[in-house]
Amino acid sequence: MPPTALVEAAHLRKSYGARLAVDDLTFSVKAGEVVGLLGPNGAGKTTTLSMLATLIAPDAGEVRIAGFDSRVAPDRLRRRLGFVPQSIALYPPLSAFQNVEVFARLQGLTRPIAQARSSEALEAVGLGDRADDPVWSLSGGMQRRLNLACGMVHRPEALLLDEPTVGVDPQSRERIFTTIRAMAESGVAVLYSTHYMEEVERMCDRALLIDGGKLLAQGTVAQLIELGGRHPRMELTFDRVPRPGWHDGIAGVAAIAATLADGRVLLELANLGQIGELLERARNSGAQLLEFAVHSPNLSDAFIALTGRALRDKAAEN
Amino acid sequence: MLRATWIVFQNEFRLLARDRASLFMLMVAPLVIITVAGFSLGNIYGAQPGSEPYAIVVVDNDRGSLAHALVDALGRDHAIAVVPAASLDAARAIIGGRARAPLCIVIPAGTSAAFATGRDVHLAIYIDPVKRLEAGAIELDLDRLCRAITSQAHAIAQQQIAAQATQLRAQLTQAAAQMKAAAAQLDQLRRQFESARATAQAEVTAQTHRTIERVSAQITAQINQSLEASRTAVAHDLAVRQDALRVVGRYLAQLEASRHDFTAWLAALKTAAGSHASQIPPPPQWPTPPDAAVMAELAKPFELPAARLDAAPSIAPANIAIRLPPIPELRGRGTLPDFSSAIARTAAPIPGILGWHERAIGGGDAHVNTFDQYVPGFGITFLLIDMLWGVGVGLIDERDWGTLARMRISGAPAAGLMLGKLTARFLIGLGQMILLFGAGWVLFGITLGRDSWALLMPAAAISFAAAAFSLVIACVARTRDAVLPIGAMAALAMSAIGGCWWPLDFEPAWLRAGALAMPTTWTMTAFNNVMIRGLGWTSAAGPAAITFAIGLAFLAIGIASSARIYRLAGQ
Repeated sequence: MPPTALVEAAHLRKSYGARLAVDDLTFSVKAGEVVGLLGPNGAGKTTTLSMLATLIAPDAGEVRIAGFDSRVAPDRLRRRLGFVPQSIALYPPLSAFQNVEVFARLQGLTRPIAQARSSEALEAVGLGDRADDPVWSLSGGMQRRLNLACGMVHRPEALLLDEPTVGVDPQSRERIFTTIRAMAESGVAVLYSTHYMEEVERMCDRALLIDGGKLLAQGTVAQLIELGGRHPRMELTFDRVPRPGWHDGIAGVAAIAATLADGRVLLELANLGQIGELLERARNSGAQLLEFAVHSPNLSDAFIALTGRALRDKAAEN
Repeated sequence: MLRATWIVFQNEFRLLARDRASLFMLMVAPLVIITVAGFSLGNIYGAQPGSEPYAIVVVDNDRGSLAHALVDALGRDHAIAVVPAASLDAARAIIGGRARAPLCIVIPAGTSAAFATGRDVHLAIYIDPVKRLEAGAIELDLDRLCRAITSQAHAIAQQQIAAQATQLRAQLTQAAAQMKAAAAQLDQLRRQFESARATAQAEVTAQTHRTIERVSAQITAQINQSLEASRTAVAHDLAVRQDALRVVGRYLAQLEASRHDFTAWLAALKTAAGSHASQIPPPPQWPTPPDAAVMAELAKPFELPAARLDAAPSIAPANIAIRLPPIPELRGRGTLPDFSSAIARTAAPIPGILGWHERAIGGGDAHVNTFDQYVPGFGITFLLIDMLWGVGVGLIDERDWGTLARMRISGAPAAGLMLGKLTARFLIGLGQMILLFGAGWVLFGITLGRDSWALLMPAAAISFAAAAFSLVIACVARTRDAVLPIGAMAALAMSAIGGCWWPLDFEPAWLRAGALAMPTTWTMTAFNNVMIRGLGWTSAAGPAAITFAIGLAFLAIGIASSARIYRLAGQ
């Protein structure tokens, strides 16, 4: 029996005034599946998740969680949904335990069950020993984990995560990944929104590439990388803009994008053996080579291939 | 919905318990401000115990008893410190150099002497116009003091007069008693005289009667002797005549017997005559003999009455009355002065002093504890501010934290979330008011009125209205940064105009008219009625109901507007 689709979005559309935030988005997430929602900032990821979480109403389209239509049975839908917002939605004055417990009880759990589940959730995200500490005393990474605990304490059938690792330390990131994988393995359908393609590559069974509110592509990570081609890429950084045509004549080497004003050049190679020759050419390019990097093909490449621009800008990376 | 309401309700208390700043604002900050305001602005209702005393500069040009009494009385007033000055110029220098020296009292020379002789006296009071408010309060105290001194002087004079009157009454009583004793002695003497006189007169009379009786007996014996001789002579004559009568009597008896014999003879004759009897002529008519009684009388013997005097002929004593000279009347006996009315009458009172006593219109003491105004007043102010913090900022915080969205995603209805938050904040506000009143009662001795429980009505009403008002502000102000400036401005204005900081009557008419639309006005009216005016619970019920109604209007606006906040947070 094939896994059931617990998260279903059909032809979702949402606009804010003249700006179209989500345009005809259709996808689904099955039980036990972790699906990444990948796109740059402003791509419509948060709007999409907000519609799925019934925080905002779509202008058009349908949302179903565990079979419940958001327009018909929003309350029953919400009981089956866990949502971890991008912002840390916690009560700073309350303790970690109190935060988890209050949301567990609001989800309909009785006080004893809510308390038991809260303790379990805190243990799951590695905060069992900080249960009584107020939120404001926790590190950013711990607050992210607590944010996750609040969203999963009632054991939802579908879990929506909106960039849950933003600003998180590696230790917390690992704990979050572990928890999410455990949730998925228990049969929860997870929709994981991020602009970190590495997280998608590592965590997700499938990914949805969106930009400008549109679904560009969806599939497994391998399928999406395939969309972007299998050629390695080389990024070189000069102290100024090098002479035009400095790498011409090397078979299979082509610029992916125009040379940037700050001296960065992104090239696609036919194979890794062309690196030595390219470095030699760079030395004679009229500019001093400051650094270079070689990339194997990945989702970012696929995104660039699909959109002509990077998945993350410098600011986002920083 | 009730479940969500209950959870949010509990959560509000958890948030409050963890929020030290809010707890500080709930209790500590209001108490600090109430304390500062109560002691600083106490002059509006008169100086309060424990506050720094006001300096009253006294220029004593009299140096008499009245001046000493006045200075002593001023010195006993906890709110006043007496600063002596040699002259008015010196007093001016002191008033100009001291912050809490609002006025100077000049006691003119001769004041005590004039006062002692019953003349009106006047003190001269020089005030610093800048300290008009303080001077007014001190003048009130001074007025009371002057009346007290005058009353005391009157009381002393009245006591002296009463004592003199009592002494005089005692003397009069003693004199009256002595006069009464003398009169009694005179009466006794008179009675003794009259007794002796009566005895003497009786003896004289007795001797006279005895003489008369002796003379009378002698006369009677002589009369009786004479009468006996006469009687003997008459008896003799009568005996002769009686013998004659007896003869006549016997003849008459015989004649009567002859008449009976003739009658019988005639009857026999007629019988013997037979038929001729009728021819016999009637005999001559015999005279009717005297009846037997007459005949008996003729036979009775004569008896002469006893001719003897048994008693002497009376001699009228008046004819021999002996008059002793009368006892002379005691002069002045009937004109003894009557002290009874004078003794009974009290001493004529000195005319009293027309004064006045302050009483609260609802009964009880008119003295107002400044904190009776400031505990509820600043309590309301901080209630409004804390409610802005709890409801207004709290709501926006929750929206910004994302917890509001998270609550909505949890399936809790918006109405339940709102109801839980408002109910919790309403109860927190009510608890805040109760604690503040309790602290005010313990620390400042505020008056809770005769129906203390009635204070709960306005406290609950303003807590409700403040919660609803804060919801409106949370909807008007879009951000956390905007809530406090907008809300605080509105809350402070409502507090000021509503009479929380000063009596409503201080405000001009147009402002008082505007204040009628504010819940603070009605709440303070209710608190003032119960606490300061001393009225019953009914005086708080009406204003509390109006406060509640205004709160309902706020709530309707807030609920209608709050949908905007939820739109920001969710669908």
